[in-house]
Amino acid sequence: MVSQRMWQEHELKDQYDVVIIGGGVHGLATAYYLTKLGVRNIAVLEAKYVGFGGSGRNTAIVRSNYRTPEGIAFYDLSVKLYEQLAADLEFNVMFSQHGHLTLAHNEKGVTGLTERANTNQLMGVNSRIIFPEEIQRIVPDLNVFGHSRFPIQAALYHPPGGIIRHDAVVWAFARGVDRGGGHVHQKTEVTGIEVQNGQVEAVVTNRGRIKTKTVLNATAGYAGLISRMVGLEIPIETHPLQAAVTEPLKPFLNSVIVSSTLHVYVSQTDRGELVLGAEVDDHASYSLRGTLAFLEGAATHLLELFPHLANVKILRQWAGLCDMTPDYSPIMGGTPDVKGFLMTVGWGTYGFKAGPASGKLMAELIVSGKTPKTLEPFALTRFYEDRLVGEKAAASVSH
Amino acid sequence: MIPQQVDSKIPPPATIEFEFDGHRVRAESGQSVAGALHAAGEHIVSRSFKYHRPRGLLCMSGRCPNCICTVDGTPNVRICTQAAKPGMIVKSQNAWPSVKFDLLRIFDKLHHFMPVGFYYKRMYKPRWMWPVWEKFIRRIAGLGTINREHGAEGVYDKQNLFTDVAVIGGGVAGLNAALAAAEAGVSVTLIDEQRELGGHLRHDPELAELSRMAAPGRSAFADSPSRTAEGGHPTVGDLIRRVSEHPAITVISSAGVFGCYEGNYLGIQQGQRMIRLRAAQVIVATGCWERPLVFENNDLPGVMLASGVQRLLHLDHCQFPGEAVVVTDNAQGYRVAKQLKAAGTRITAIVDVRDNPPETAEGIPIHQGSQLLGVFHPADSRPEFEGIRVYRGHTVVSARGTRHVGGVVIAPLSGHPRQTLSCRWIVQAVGFTPANSLLYQNGCKLRYDESVDQAIVIQHAPAMYSAGAVNALHDPRDAVLDGQRAGLAAAAALRPQDVELAQRIGQIGLIGRTSPIEREAVASAHYVSPSGAKKKFVCLCEDVTEKDICDAIDEGYSNIETLKRYSTVSMGPCQGKMCQSASIAICARHNGQSIAETGVTTARPPEQPLPLGVLAGRALHFSLVRRTPMHAWHEKAGAKMGDAGNWKRPQVYSSVAQEYEAVRQRVGVIDVSTLGKIDLRGADVVKFLEFIYPNRFANLKVGRVRYGVICDDAGILLDDGTIARLGDERFFLTTTTGNADAIDSWFRWWLAGRPEWDVRMTNVSGSYAAMNLAGPRSREVLKKLTDADLSSDAMPYLAASECTIAGVSAIVLRIGFVGELGYEIHVPSQFGLHVWEAIMEAGREFSIAPFGLEAQRVLRLEKKHLLPGIDTDALSNPLEADLPWIVKLDKEDFIGKESLARAQQRGDRNKLIGFRLSESVIPDLASLVLCDGKLGGRITSCGYSPAVGGTIGLAWVPANLARNGQTIQVQVNGRLIPAVVQDEPFYDPSGSKLKS
Repeated sequence: MVSQRMWQEHELKDQYDVVIIGGGVHGLATAYYLTKLGVRNIAVLEAKYVGFGGSGRNTAIVRSNYRTPEGIAFYDLSVKLYEQLAADLEFNVMFSQHGHLTLAHNEKGVTGLTERANTNQLMGVNSRIIFPEEIQRIVPDLNVFGHSRFPIQAALYHPPGGIIRHDAVVWAFARGVDRGGGHVHQKTEVTGIEVQNGQVEAVVTNRGRIKTKTVLNATAGYAGLISRMVGLEIPIETHPLQAAVTEPLKPFLNSVIVSSTLHVYVSQTDRGELVLGAEVDDHASYSLRGTLAFLEGAATHLLELFPHLANVKILRQWAGLCDMTPDYSPIMGGTPDVKGFLMTVGWGTYGFKAGPASGKLMAELIVSGKTPKTLEPFALTRFYEDRLVGEKAAASVSH
Repeated sequence: MIPQQVDSKIPPPATIEFEFDGHRVRAESGQSVAGALHAAGEHIVSRSFKYHRPRGLLCMSGRCPNCICTVDGTPNVRICTQAAKPGMIVKSQNAWPSVKFDLLRIFDKLHHFMPVGFYYKRMYKPRWMWPVWEKFIRRIAGLGTINREHGAEGVYDKQNLFTDVAVIGGGVAGLNAALAAAEAGVSVTLIDEQRELGGHLRHDPELAELSRMAAPGRSAFADSPSRTAEGGHPTVGDLIRRVSEHPAITVISSAGVFGCYEGNYLGIQQGQRMIRLRAAQVIVATGCWERPLVFENNDLPGVMLASGVQRLLHLDHCQFPGEAVVVTDNAQGYRVAKQLKAAGTRITAIVDVRDNPPETAEGIPIHQGSQLLGVFHPADSRPEFEGIRVYRGHTVVSARGTRHVGGVVIAPLSGHPRQTLSCRWIVQAVGFTPANSLLYQNGCKLRYDESVDQAIVIQHAPAMYSAGAVNALHDPRDAVLDGQRAGLAAAAALRPQDVELAQRIGQIGLIGRTSPIEREAVASAHYVSPSGAKKKFVCLCEDVTEKDICDAIDEGYSNIETLKRYSTVSMGPCQGKMCQSASIAICARHNGQSIAETGVTTARPPEQPLPLGVLAGRALHFSLVRRTPMHAWHEKAGAKMGDAGNWKRPQVYSSVAQEYEAVRQRVGVIDVSTLGKIDLRGADVVKFLEFIYPNRFANLKVGRVRYGVICDDAGILLDDGTIARLGDERFFLTTTTGNADAIDSWFRWWLAGRPEWDVRMTNVSGSYAAMNLAGPRSREVLKKLTDADLSSDAMPYLAASECTIAGVSAIVLRIGFVGELGYEIHVPSQFGLHVWEAIMEAGREFSIAPFGLEAQRVLRLEKKHLLPGIDTDALSNPLEADLPWIVKLDKEDFIGKESLARAQQRGDRNKLIGFRLSESVIPDLASLVLCDGKLGGRITSCGYSPAVGGTIGLAWVPANLARNGQTIQVQVNGRLIPAVVQDEPFYDPSGSKLKS
């Protein structure tokens, strides 16, 4: 097999039609779909290397069983794009749709999942509530009927959900951009954005200044810092999210298992490693350093679900940064204050699964100047108009 | 103290037996499983991940992936660090039908079809192909198999310790560091992963001897009474004894530090125990491990690291029958050759990568520092070197053999001419990889230094030191001084006033290198032998070859991190310990960069694979179970208990209908001890409450209680509860059960920024038991237990008083969550059961009944009382949640005011309403309310109401439907059922019963 280069290294030009900040899945997908729409004079600027940030640190779960109609419509589009992505990009991104189970261990949990199942079905998304016998059939190794502090009562079963090879998605999009005529500049850090009379004029980088009228902020972790370069404050708080991976084991777990009561989720890759994660850290921070408390918590909770994994070993842990918005939904679109400044940010813990949809719709927005209908609910202005898209599950309360 | 095992020599050989793949293997007691297999001639112990190539012992130090087996059902155990035990069952992994004969080795022949990243380029067209392929891949992927029968067994434990100075590593540097710090007067904890202290000195007698020769005049212990007579340093045994016996030193053996987390917080694994150690100062003296050379077939059984050979020789008392070839670029190679020869192995040749090892007219003198180990001649005649031939400027090109080494091809560095030597063992001594992962983890800055061919620290993290081989000081004499220097420095940091200490550090001075690094400017030949062969393995875990790495770089994955993710180099069980040096060197060479420019991949915890059970500890069923003081009573009364967070609460005792009836007709009592309770005192409490709650509190009189909700900045309803004023500056608050902790933090968060406010807060949630006595006869019941005047004049609805109930001082709130005359009684926890029983006794004549959460839910639903988090979500504000009267926008300021003012201005969009269903079915919670087929809202609570004689509930609907009498459509099992909106409560709308 003759290997081809995935992407070329280019000189940084002094003018691009569109400059995209952030070489993760969102930035690269937007660039890719822009090239498909015929916009080729574009640059993706990545401070480190493609996939350094959240795109390389997430746990690669893809699903569309969200809670709000807005969220469901959006993520459903993303799942459908992911399903054809390998063929589209001619790169095996290994999308394994082995199903996704969200477990409920108490009545309130069951209610929350029932609501999601009902709304999913109303929106045409394959998702339903299943009960212990069926859960056990789908995941034979799960502790459904054994001793447990909070026994599993039901699950939201979402057959199209699954995992994907996240790095492959990033590389394939980067190659797609390159082949489409766009430039992917790694090790290129944005240090400023010039705005004149309310219009973006240029982007300043460590490699030089680029004239452009359109800038897309597609960063995570640093979305607030980039927005501040044009004087825009966005309602984002950055929290670390941690994950860990075990040594490879003979595959026994096909589905993705999520339990919000136990604050843990787990899946098994095609290499046999178990990938596990939890919720974002309580405190806001830019630290990429893992904590012992996370490992202890995740292990404890995982063993509640799979007690016989006690002698399975963790190989490494890591952390990523999540830009959390008040309603746990992203911010996509422009701002009336600065013309030419667009963003696809605030992706919290749910960004990777949205990559293709956000990229495609943002590309359409950039080309047409009109916000696609699916994007409308996610505009920055929703925070001023109190039109939140509430994907944050209600806090657990009993009376 | 943790049990110490020091100088406990291996007991006299008693033979034991264990099982390996069904065969019985004999072992000396104390021998490792791997050592016993070696002695028994079992040289294939595993199969490689991708190509299923046979693999044998390599490092013998628990670093490489080669000896991973399943031991007694535990998958992926490194048998080289596992002591053999009688009856142990060891099984090889990842092979079919057996590790000796593995049919999957076919992949080794098919490697042309499986170049690096091949799976990204294939198997995706047409789309249905991938699931088919994936099924196949998932069948062959992975290493060990999980143990479904016994995986959960084992006793795990956790321990928390703290120390002044933690020394990681019990080698010569660590021992000296520990002793120096302890003698300087601080407490020391020394952690070492081996069974016995001594590090490399345990298995290299010549190094051990050398360690005594450090310049005594510079030593921290020059004046120590235990200084040896000769003026040199103590023997290793003496040193270990002094460390072990020192009262200020705690030794934790057989324990690995897997992580250094923020604030010098060390995670340590000792068998099935996890130790969390907080150290004021940390000294990293973790040493190094040897790295393999990359040559063709370098993974064949029989190719070993020199230190692995030494461990087998000296610790496991094994031999290496037959001939061996040593490839080296340093003195270690000559030492191991000598030791092997002494043990009876015939050394065919020493292949020295160096073109020009230091040479004299007589031959090549081999030094370890200033000590002359010997002089090698092409044909040396002295007994210890006899027959050993040294090939200068040569390297190993290829190992010959299919299942074990049968020969070796060597060549000059140019690659030609080649010659084949016959041998059974190829011993590699080509340099070290420092064990510096903990330094990286803790934020030390390291830079690759070509002169020592190693990354060294250029800036330490605060309160962290390094000593010995991690500082590229491989000569034990240097490590002695470096350890002492680090130990004194760590102690001095804790004793800044100690002048003498500073002087002693000055006395040691800078640690120079006694012996020069015996390697010439680093050429890639020190990592990779020159040949175009394909099967030159860099990463043994993942079967990644030199060619794979070069191909990946050619495809554009030139960054070391991207390269790692694409080629999977260093992503396996050893996490790069074996391959890191070589992969970086190859990446640098292929990119035309220096090693320093190439960088390293990020070091992440754990440093060694860490079992989930150790992390979880004893807390297999992790959450505490919280029980109220009346718990036993409820169980005895036959209550069905349910979880409410960590609490156990009675759901129902007899039947919901009976309990409902008791409360509505007579009297009932429910245990509400689980409520959060906060005592607030101080001159500014009113100000604080006015700020926290949207309600008004300035006008709350002493002896009154008020219902309130708490909102966040966005005006979202977080929680509700009652606020009672018990004195001018004294308040008693309740929160919901589930939010008790969250509200506690919420209060503290807001108070933290207002230190000038006189508000003293005590969380008394666990201090009080509480019960709610409710029903038309409740006053009569309570009257029997108190002298207080309970009449509605003296104690009207929403009164709060402190009085004595059943002889116990209590806080009594006249509130009615369930809509009846009622009293919420709070008493100190220890009297909870007493008061509860007294109430039951007093109520007997009124046929009192205890009631559970299920009855309470119906009772409150009839009153349309909402439950935060059940009837509200993260978008609900009190205006829309049917509590507009609570929000006092004319107050000066309170949390959420601005948002609520805006919400009020724009008007309601959705509303929480009560409804009556037109049919008698009871829909599931979260059933949808549909408007023209679209989502309109959802049901949050519903149930059968005896008062109404039908199904009632609460639901969120669009504001335009939230009118009394309006019909809405509820989706139940795919069918739409009409329901009618009702503004008034379903029971006692005027509240007369409540106030009676």
